[in-house]
Formats: sequence, structure tokens, C-alpha cells
Amino acid sequence: MNSSVVEVKRLKKFFQVHKKEPGLVGSIKSLVARQYEEVRAVDDVSFTIEEGELVGFIGPNGAGKTTTLKCLSGLLYPTAGFISVLGFLPHQRKSEFLRQISLVMGQKNQLWWDLPPLETFQLNKEIYEIPEEKYKETLNELITLLEVEDILKIQVRKLSLGQRMKCELIAALLHSPKVLFLDEPTIGLDVVMQKKMRDFIKEYNRRYKATILLTSHYMGDVKELCRRVLIIDKGKLVFDGQLSEITQKYADHKLISLILAKEVDQKILNDLAKVKEFSYPKLVYQVKKDEVSKIAAKVLDQLPVADLNIEEPPIEDIIRELFTGKNYA
Amino acid sequence: MKISSVSFLPAKTMPKYLTLAKITLEEYLVYRLNFVLWRFRSFVSFLTLFFFWLAIYGNRGEFLGYQKSQMLTYVVGIAFLRSVILGSRSVDLGGQIRSGELTKIVLRPLGIFSFWFSRDLVDKLLNIFFTLLELGIVLTVFKFPFWFPTKAETYIIFILLVILALFLYFFLSFVISAIAFWTEEVWATRWLFGVIFLEFFAGAFFPIDVLPIWLQKIIYLTPFPYLVFFPLKIWLEQISRAMAIQAILVCAGWLGVFWWLAKVLWQKGAKNYGAYGG
Repeated sequence: MNSSVVEVKRLKKFFQVHKKEPGLVGSIKSLVARQYEEVRAVDDVSFTIEEGELVGFIGPNGAGKTTTLKCLSGLLYPTAGFISVLGFLPHQRKSEFLRQISLVMGQKNQLWWDLPPLETFQLNKEIYEIPEEKYKETLNELITLLEVEDILKIQVRKLSLGQRMKCELIAALLHSPKVLFLDEPTIGLDVVMQKKMRDFIKEYNRRYKATILLTSHYMGDVKELCRRVLIIDKGKLVFDGQLSEITQKYADHKLISLILAKEVDQKILNDLAKVKEFSYPKLVYQVKKDEVSKIAAKVLDQLPVADLNIEEPPIEDIIRELFTGKNYA
Repeated sequence: MKISSVSFLPAKTMPKYLTLAKITLEEYLVYRLNFVLWRFRSFVSFLTLFFFWLAIYGNRGEFLGYQKSQMLTYVVGIAFLRSVILGSRSVDLGGQIRSGELTKIVLRPLGIFSFWFSRDLVDKLLNIFFTLLELGIVLTVFKFPFWFPTKAETYIIFILLVILALFLYFFLSFVISAIAFWTEEVWATRWLFGVIFLEFFAGAFFPIDVLPIWLQKIIYLTPFPYLVFFPLKIWLEQISRAMAIQAILVCAGWLGVFWWLAKVLWQKGAKNYGAYGG
């Protein structure tokens, strides 16, 4: 018995990409003898997601996040491995499966470009066979939540990116999908809009117990929305767990940040420990975990300290270090 | 493993395709100028062909076994059948595969053939309406005797073959577009298919029976002459009932082949689909 909504076992997705040297000569060469290269976009990834979870999927560009989402939604046919979503094999694209999921891609437009968003909504109502009452109710709710009343009758191509993304979301949510795949839902949005999107996603997850898997470049999205994260790099899953565990597991240092009461010669500061940041009066030391108390004592003793804090390093830094060639122990 | 979205119009899902047709119509209304120019182009190419044959006949009453009124009826018939049969929005499929836009169709509970066919229907209805208008004007202005069949059964056979041909072209066009799953490049095949085979072998420039017999025999084996040439020959009552029935059977055979091919290519292609971009 397995009640997981998403189950992925040893998923692999390889692409044959043909390589071409730049320029005309390269083009002719590739015409005569094509060189193919196998790209392992997703290489042996396994995880499960339970109902109602909101999971963040992070990794650098080209890590395989989007490819995984595309496999999960049934868009791509896996090279090897097993995927089950809501008990279906996604690539079979059964109607009953498609009716219960949605894939939103921040960089892709799924609305009808030349028509107002309302037309797409109405088409989706018919495509997903949503009863009139339910459609009206959901639509009104989504419109209010996302504050888009005034743009519903404007051609999609005339909308701003933020307006369009909101409408993309509405179109994707009209049929109340149980599983939602969001690929970079906040890409290109300004800070205010990002915040609104996040609030909305969080609310949607809470209200409908929807299972959501989202990818993002912005740590902010993940930090605010997801308790659990999957980190993927070069097609491999390198971390699966609570966001807070990342710090414990990978950070070998802490930060001692202080406010100085008066100016001190930079040389003295450097002698005490490794200075990470200094702009008077703020000073930040980066210290090995096991040396924190020793150095903190020294600092308090030798410097005119107005305020002192011992902090975990920001999650962004840890992940950046992870991605720039450190070993995943 | 079977990909299930190949179905063709399950009855209770009619409203979704009607809405799709409605949206297609609205798209056309957004690009009115585009449509007007397209009609203009079609009209001009019709007039060119029309005057070409008018000039060839000059004072002759008969040429290449065709009476003047028969030949001109053939030319008018070409223009009409172009809008009924030779036109499918599935040409866009190739581009959608390349750009990854197809994603928005394959991830919806939609039958892929029904999707394109409901869009085609609007395209055809609009074009038929305007073609009839244009042809009506030309026929009135030139006052030439348009050939109408004498027997009632001719109309029935004609309509039957036209319907078969319409679906044949639909699947043919779909197959050509689906090649983009593998080549990522569809214009060369479409051009070769569209211009050389289709226009020439279908008889969309001139009747095929003006060609040498051996070439005719080869062409009759291809699916193309059943799209334009045979329907018009039936209309002109220039072929026997037996031949007409044979044409219908061959056309139905080709229709079966291309339906099957379209299904297979779609299933295989959908596996191959890279969903590029993003």
C-alpha cells in the first residue's frame, strides 16, 4: 500500500543533442557527419511526495529541475525509471490524470495569445468539463485573490508579464488540480508581485490541500513557501529534507556579526578572525563552528562591541557553495 | 504503451470542441486584414488560372477533350475545392512542435485530431463562404455557362468523395506536420509536398487527364488526385459510375492508411516530443 501522491523511482531522462561547431563550416560538417552527445538531464532520481505537501525544487540552471517536472506532468517520456502521480503513469496522458494536474511554466505562455484571458478561461471550462456553478465560484475566488478584475477583457499579448502570470495561474487552477507543478512561477516578476504570488501559492496549498512542487531560482520563494526542499545538481538529487537541515548539514561555519562602538584599526580586526564583511560600524566574522565560543569571547574582550550576534550563514550562501564544486557529503 | 489522447470526438465532449471552434473564429476576427489578404491572394490565383484557360480556348469550343464550359467549370471547381479540402490548420503543428507550444495542447484532456479538426472546420466554413461569394461575382460578370450535373446521383457521389477527400487531406497534412517530431524542420517537406505533389498531382492547376497516359496511371496510384481531380471529374460527369465508385474506394483506402499513419506518428512522436524551451 502506498498513498504517496508522487512517487519517483530511479528516474532517468537522457537527451541526444547534436553538437555543431559555430559558423558555416560547422554547419556543413554537421550536415555530413552529425555528432551526437548524450545529455543526462536527470540521472537516477528518486523521491516521494505526500498529499498536501509543498515542496521546493532547487538547483542551478540546467540541473534538471524543469526536465523532472516535465516528466512528472507527462510531457516527457522517461528514459528509464518509474513515475507515478496520483496512481497514474504520467506519460500515458490519460484524461483522468490530466484533469487532476496542472503545469505552469513561468517562461511559457499557455493562454491564447491573441484573445483576452477570459476566453482561455471559458475554453478551459469546457475542456475540463467544469460545471457552470463551480466555474463561476472558482473564477470569482481566483480573480479576487489575484486582483485581476480589470484585465480580463484585454488581449493577452497586451498584458504585462505580472498580469499575464496571474492569468496563467488562474487558467491552470480553474479545474482545481490536486497536483500542481510550478516551474519558475515568479520569474521576471518584481518584488511586490513575487510576494503576492508566494502568498497566493501558500494560500492555495492551505485551502485546497493541493500538492505542489515548485522550482525556482529565487531562494526567497523556497524559503518562504517550502518546508521541504529537493536539491538537484547535474541531474542528481543531492539533498532531500527540511530546509533547516541544509544549514546543519552543510554549513561548517557560523557568522559573528557585531556593531562596533568606535572605530578600530582594520589590522587589529583582521588579526582576530576571518573578516567576511566590514563597513563601519558593522563587522561580520566568519568562524568555524567549533571555534565560535572561543572567538566570540576574544572579540568581546578585545574590541569595543556595542552589539553582538551569532548567526547561521544565509541559506543562499550555503547553497551557492554547494553548487560551486563542493562535495556533497 | 498507448497514449490515450488520440480519440476522435467522444459524443459528450462536443461542447469543448464547439468552444474551440468559437475561439478560432474570434482569432480570425482579430486578424481580419490577414484573412482579407489571404482571400485576395486566393482570388487572384483563381483569376490567373481562369484567364489563362480563357485565353487558351480563345474561339475554340473544345480543347484536350474538354469543352470550354467544362474547363472553366473545372477551374471554378478548383477554387471551391481548395477552400473545402485543401486547407488545414494542422500546418501549425510543425511550428508548435519546434517551439514547444504544443505543450499547452498535450497536457489538456483533448483529442489531438478533434482539436485540429474543430479549428479546420472554422477555417473551411469561412473560406467556403467567401469563395462562393467571389465565384458568384465572377460567374455573374462573365456570364459563362457553368456546368451542372444532369443526374441526381452525381451530386451524391460528388459530396461523398469530397467528404472523404476532406478527411484524407486532414490526415495527410497532419502526417507531414508530425514529421517535425523528428526533423525539427518542416518547411522543406511541406514545400515539396505542398507545391510539387499536392498542387500538381491533385490536379489543382489543370486536369490530370491532359497528361500522358503512363504518367496518369502513376498519379492515380497516389492519394493526391482524389483530392481535387476526381471530385471534379465526377461533377463534370466525365467518368463512368464504375470509375467513380473505384475512385471512392481508393480514396477511402488512402484515408485509412493516413488515419493509421497519423495515429502512429502522433503516438511515437509524442514520446519523442522534447517540449523545448523553458
